[in-house]
Amino acid sequence: MQFEWTAEQDEFRRKIRDFLHANLPQDWEAFSEHGPASPALTAFAREFCVKLAEAGILFPHWPVEMGGEGLGPWEQQILAEEMWIAGEPRGGQYMNVNWIGPTLQKYGTEDQKRRYLEPITRGQSLWCQGFSEPDAGSDLASLRTRARLVDGNYVIDGQKIWTSYAGLADTCFLLTRTSDDRKKGITIILVPMDTPGITVRQIPSLIGEGDIHEVFFDEVTVPESARFGEEGQAWEIVAYSLRNERLGIPRFTLARAALDRAVQMLGEQGRFSREYVRIEAARCAALCEAAATTNYAVVQRRADGRTIGAESSSARYATVMAERVVCEFVVEFLPEVLAGASPYLKMHHQRGIVAGIAAGSAEIQLNIIASEVLELPREPR
Amino acid sequence: MQLTLSEDQTQVLDSIDSLARPYAAVPLHDASFVLESAELDASLVENGFLDVLAVDELGPVTAALVVEKLARLPFAVEAAVSALVRPLIDLELPRPICLVEESRPGAPVRFLRPGATVVVVGSSGVSSFTAVQDKIAPASHDTPYAYPVAFLAGLPDTPTRHEVDPAEVLRAWRVAVATEAAGLLGAALASTVSHVSERRQFGRPLATFQALRHRLAEDQVVTNSVYWLALRAAASGTAADAALALLHAQEATKRVCYDYHQFLGGMGMTLEHPLHLWTYRLKLLSAELGGRADQGLAAAEALWGK
Repeated sequence: MQFEWTAEQDEFRRKIRDFLHANLPQDWEAFSEHGPASPALTAFAREFCVKLAEAGILFPHWPVEMGGEGLGPWEQQILAEEMWIAGEPRGGQYMNVNWIGPTLQKYGTEDQKRRYLEPITRGQSLWCQGFSEPDAGSDLASLRTRARLVDGNYVIDGQKIWTSYAGLADTCFLLTRTSDDRKKGITIILVPMDTPGITVRQIPSLIGEGDIHEVFFDEVTVPESARFGEEGQAWEIVAYSLRNERLGIPRFTLARAALDRAVQMLGEQGRFSREYVRIEAARCAALCEAAATTNYAVVQRRADGRTIGAESSSARYATVMAERVVCEFVVEFLPEVLAGASPYLKMHHQRGIVAGIAAGSAEIQLNIIASEVLELPREPR
Repeated sequence: MQLTLSEDQTQVLDSIDSLARPYAAVPLHDASFVLESAELDASLVENGFLDVLAVDELGPVTAALVVEKLARLPFAVEAAVSALVRPLIDLELPRPICLVEESRPGAPVRFLRPGATVVVVGSSGVSSFTAVQDKIAPASHDTPYAYPVAFLAGLPDTPTRHEVDPAEVLRAWRVAVATEAAGLLGAALASTVSHVSERRQFGRPLATFQALRHRLAEDQVVTNSVYWLALRAAASGTAADAALALLHAQEATKRVCYDYHQFLGGMGMTLEHPLHLWTYRLKLLSAELGGRADQGLAAAEALWGK
């Protein structure tokens, strides 16, 4: 057991930091206050990701046969950590390299791989996840957006909600219902967002401009070849994707960086001498490091080629705990940061407060831990 | 980064499993508040399990794994200090070893008995002496702490001084307690999970009620992270990691112990169930080294300066 990064991993991290230093504008911290799905950051990311691709660090963790360098899960982790600490300058494109690309590679048809992987590798595509619906949030399997196969086309009717990136996305990774079977009746369709019949409305939010939307599908028609996987295979594919997604955002790194920044601000104002504040800050640091180590234990499983199971829910919940305490610490002791005193801490707050909701609510993670890690007998249905 | 157990580590842990198997079960009803086994202690010593820190290919992480594993047993073993702190002071110090803070000589001392080595750690340095009967005040016979505990009735005038940095001993002490707590937390959780999975009320197992499931799942998250932070602290040897690991362990203790007794109904209060052996050890460890407040301050200083 070895808790230190190897020299090669340190070097890889340094390479990314150097790249960020050279390629993020001087006013980046203020700029990153624009939400990750905002028009400003999305436009920035389209240029930034091209540079990442040119430097070979857009998807270096992908296997060589996918055009990557086959660097592996630890490098993916390091890349994600450095990007997230910096305020995720890849915008929504982080999803592409974390899970959409690998999922396309695993389940896509040759045609889908040709069509979608190449723009991802050029840093030129933006996806959204059409998962949640007004009556299907945590209970995702109750979704009702219907896809009917009519003369070789799928005709889609329904509504999605709380969809990140939908305003500017090119393609939607859409969950639809093709039969009444609760889980086996769900099918993924890859829908170009400029298909007639799609209406996107922004939902104003606390977490940054342009982030959250509702998306309406009114007789949206796409060819049968837009189906991803088989009819009814969505649940299996999404479980695979979400396990990557849960691990994909190393939120604890930004939480820890935000904590250090908050402590620095308190120190500069002579307010970091009170014992209670110091102890609270240490509690936050402990939870950030707790999240880091439990996430690393899951990354190790991936590095060993083992299946990632419910451990990712445990790691994810540890991350939610860390995000929560850091957000609370900052607001309690530095209320001015949400009113403009620190764009960086405001950016953290906007991203941190959704940690318990995104990629499956924290309570769903607890259900998974109870059943699959602790192996408690199941609740009656 | 390599968080998989090495072959050597797996072998050591498997050997401890075999050796400790006779001690995994608890005699119910006739168990005293404290459960110890001289035979278990002797075989751990004989097989060198408390000396792995000094073995090159094993080192501090393996020592921590040994301590964590042993802490899961219902039997109290003085392993943590011997395995993780003693090597810094003097490998030949006779066991059991009792650590005492110079500033808190009145705290209950675990494993204190005639012949034990008492190590006093404080700003004036690190010193030790052999405990003798007339300098030991017994704890009340029904103390629930589930460790053998007693009080120091006085300190000798001329203890043996050790040329070791007291800050370094404090660091290792924190790692030792965090690691022992990790094992205790793991055993207490497993024991509670087993109970609520079997115990039926309202026609179904208690574990099927979400009121318990979510709390236990949260307990799994913190228990798991206490384990990893303790191992990382053992590996890194930094003051910050040690303070964070013990802070997190003591936070976890505060969170889970009350819940577990609650989930067992009255049984954890009676000696029908061994839960108290882990929870009350945890409670005593949650006060060690000044508890969460002192760990928090120590961590803050190590991370961000004074």
